[in-house]
Amino acid sequence: MAEVRPVPRSEAWARAATERAVERVVSALDVNALLDLVDLNAVLDQVDIDRVLDRIDLDRLLGRMDLNELVKHIDLNALVEQTDLGAIIAASSSGVAGDVLDVVRSQTVGLDEFIARWIGRLRRRPYTGPPGPPGRLRSGAGQ
Amino acid sequence: MTTRAGDAVPSGAPVIIRGSLQGRYSGFASRFTAFAVDVGISLGVFLLALAAISFAALVLTGKDITWHKGDIWVIIAYAVWAFVYFAHSWAASGRTAGMALFGLRVVRDDGTDASGRRAVVRTLALPLSFLFLGLGFVGILLGDRRRALHDVIAGTAVIYSWDARAARLRFLSRG
Repeated sequence: MAEVRPVPRSEAWARAATERAVERVVSALDVNALLDLVDLNAVLDQVDIDRVLDRIDLDRLLGRMDLNELVKHIDLNALVEQTDLGAIIAASSSGVAGDVLDVVRSQTVGLDEFIARWIGRLRRRPYTGPPGPPGRLRSGAGQ
Repeated sequence: MTTRAGDAVPSGAPVIIRGSLQGRYSGFASRFTAFAVDVGISLGVFLLALAAISFAALVLTGKDITWHKGDIWVIIAYAVWAFVYFAHSWAASGRTAGMALFGLRVVRDDGTDASGRRAVVRTLALPLSFLFLGLGFVGILLGDRRRALHDVIAGTAVIYSWDARAARLRFLSRG
């Protein structure tokens, strides 16, 4: 056990006097006016966030957090009630349907191109892609 | 992945088309597949209607009606239904269900929307393209504007109406 050294009276008096002096200075200061003088943007520009983040030990931070306790504070029922699950399911299934449609269309267009190339070879006319668009569509469509 | 001259059509992964095809004349495979889907849909709906009529007759009169595919009235009824299906679809939106699935649209030969009159003429002229072993469809393969006989008669053309470039971007964005 460490030995407690008694503080000399003069040192205690000096410490108390310093604390009172600091208190008086701080109370006399207009902190808002002081902050107005500080250009926070300039300060933030000088801060290297990546370097700051590198110095944070996330594992240690998470180790100190009780996530179970945190989850207990979340009202899951209210969260589920506020979530439109139907919309989420509809969006995901319409996304799948859209993907299938894209694949089917792409495959048939690929077959169109395949046939057109072979016809071009038989006719000895180089195939340069699907013809068109028709006159009135020409201005708005095309590659 | 992009298609190149002479490439075979790969299976599984989508064929990625370099530019947008929107507005360009559609090819034989797309049109034929869309037509096959339309025939399937129209036939399916027609058979369902016949079954519903048989069921209703059985419930209301107690008599069982049987339909024969060689029956002239069945053929006429299907012809009328198919006419309504195609003509109404082309007049209303320029596309049937099959064409919507494959991203195709019927337009006038200058690219504007097909009118009701052209839609009717196109539907009536469609059987003519099947004559002489489907000679009327050769224009889709050999013509500069990929038009079949019924397109020429009605003054229409079939174009791609889907944005292949947007589909490519969607595909790339999903990695």
